[in-house]
Amino acid sequence: MAKSHQLRKIFIVVFLIGWLFIAYFGWKQTTDTSSKLTTITIGYQAGDEFDIAKTRGEFAKKMKKAGYKVKFKEFQNGSAEMQALATGAIDYARTGDTPPVTALASGTNLTYVGAGGSKEQGTGILVKTSSGINSLSDLAGKKIAYTQGTSSQYLLLKALQKAGLSTSDVELVSLDQSAAAVAYEKGKVDAWANWDPQTSRLELNGSKLLVNGSDISDNNRSYLVASTSFAKSNKKVSKLIIKYLNQDMQWVNKNQTKAIKMMAKSLKLSTSVVSKMVKRRTYSFGYMTKTAVQESQDIANLFYEQGVIKKKVNVKSHVQYLK
Amino acid sequence: MKKAKTNFWTKVYPWILPVAIIVFWQIAVQTKLINSQYVPAPSAIVAQAIKSWQAGTLQKNISISLYRATLGFIWGGGLGFFFGLFSGISALFRATFDSTIQMLRNIPHMALIPLIILVLGIDESAKIFLVAVGTFFPIYINTYHGISSVSEDLLEMGRSYDLTNWQLFTKIIFPGALPTILMGVRYSLGTMWVSLIVAETVSADSGIGYMSTNAQQFMNVKIIYLCIIIYALLGKLSDFMAKQLEIISLDWQKA
Repeated sequence: MAKSHQLRKIFIVVFLIGWLFIAYFGWKQTTDTSSKLTTITIGYQAGDEFDIAKTRGEFAKKMKKAGYKVKFKEFQNGSAEMQALATGAIDYARTGDTPPVTALASGTNLTYVGAGGSKEQGTGILVKTSSGINSLSDLAGKKIAYTQGTSSQYLLLKALQKAGLSTSDVELVSLDQSAAAVAYEKGKVDAWANWDPQTSRLELNGSKLLVNGSDISDNNRSYLVASTSFAKSNKKVSKLIIKYLNQDMQWVNKNQTKAIKMMAKSLKLSTSVVSKMVKRRTYSFGYMTKTAVQESQDIANLFYEQGVIKKKVNVKSHVQYLK
Repeated sequence: MKKAKTNFWTKVYPWILPVAIIVFWQIAVQTKLINSQYVPAPSAIVAQAIKSWQAGTLQKNISISLYRATLGFIWGGGLGFFFGLFSGISALFRATFDSTIQMLRNIPHMALIPLIILVLGIDESAKIFLVAVGTFFPIYINTYHGISSVSEDLLEMGRSYDLTNWQLFTKIIFPGALPTILMGVRYSLGTMWVSLIVAETVSADSGIGYMSTNAQQFMNVKIIYLCIIIYALLGKLSDFMAKQLEIISLDWQKA
């Protein structure tokens, strides 16, 4: 008996040492090497412009040369990013067109500093090819998945409006991305309002876009937003970020094959899906424009009419036009 | 001879069901009884594990998760033990803290996330805090329960031997409470992994929970299953550890 206890004790000690060793290894990976550079934290989502910049690596290098250390934080969706922005956990957030509008309506102090190119071809309402749904009016009485507070909500409301349907004519289900993916795949919902790369992936797997952004003049731009106080005192940083980000975007446009390969690897998607996504949009990033502001204002107006937000939002007063 | 045989059986028997399930699973997928698009074969999951290992993501994510889990457990378990201990021995302490702790206990982790982002932000501390919350309660409750339910007769006997308060604690109260406390440790090692999955959906870019939610977004079923299996294995491993600890420290009971 005593001997087996000895063995057990040795076993536990060895096991604990192994455990702690691995945990230590994990700790080493979460802590960055400290440096004297000013740290800029940017929130992004999988597959977006900053994801490309992060994977390519040039962006961080250029920023470092300019005296800034860039930290990237990945988020599942825009509303989580807006929360983090409001609390100062991140300095900048790259989101779709809708999260900043709902955040402004709930009183978050944020400022638009940059806007991306439009990507209306990759945004839309997905249905299975075999579903027999062929036009927007066929959606009446169907179950449609979307994610509240994201660009899919605006897209959906706009599409329903165009088809002359009201939200009570259809059954809307707000699901987060991962839950919606499973629900759609298993046929628990009939349609899914979503964006690339999900739309590309599913279009290559027996689904089609019933309607895309360009059919309903929804450009679904990307926006770069910062908290108002940060934006005011960091114009120089904003300009640098947009300049270097745009250089990465131009690189994608010129080196599509290379970019597709790189993104497929980092997103763990097949190259055919990524190539469909990349080829149907033009990558760019620039300062805020009057058009982009008007597009955001349209979202705010529709949301207010439909009661999604309870406060009127005047986008114009939350924009910084950099020069 | 007979003893060796029963020993063999007690070791092997518990593994028969899980192995049978895996074998059946593999056959069912290969004979197309189950659609491999939703449920990949065990062999495909193993292949995925090897692929992720070679890419370096698997061991990186496991070690980061382990770090968060361990630190959260040390904080949560340590505080849980401290509070449970004092609630068990001091009526005043119990009256002050117990009802508050019992109220906090039933708050779902998901509901805490916005608050945690507000207060702690999105860094490591937020994730570790969530694990600490998850591990705090089982240890608190079991420590408290274990200590307060030490038989009054034994204490009476100790007092009649003129034991000091400290001796009463080390000789009677703590050993008497130990089995319940260790049960709490075992239980909280389980909640540790559950809390970690929730924690790693908060703006994480590493960890097993992140791997899983990221795979869900793009319906990468093999990685989803791989993550579930890793959680199961880590859970079993930590439970096994706690059991060994129990066997050693409760040896006196047999005497």
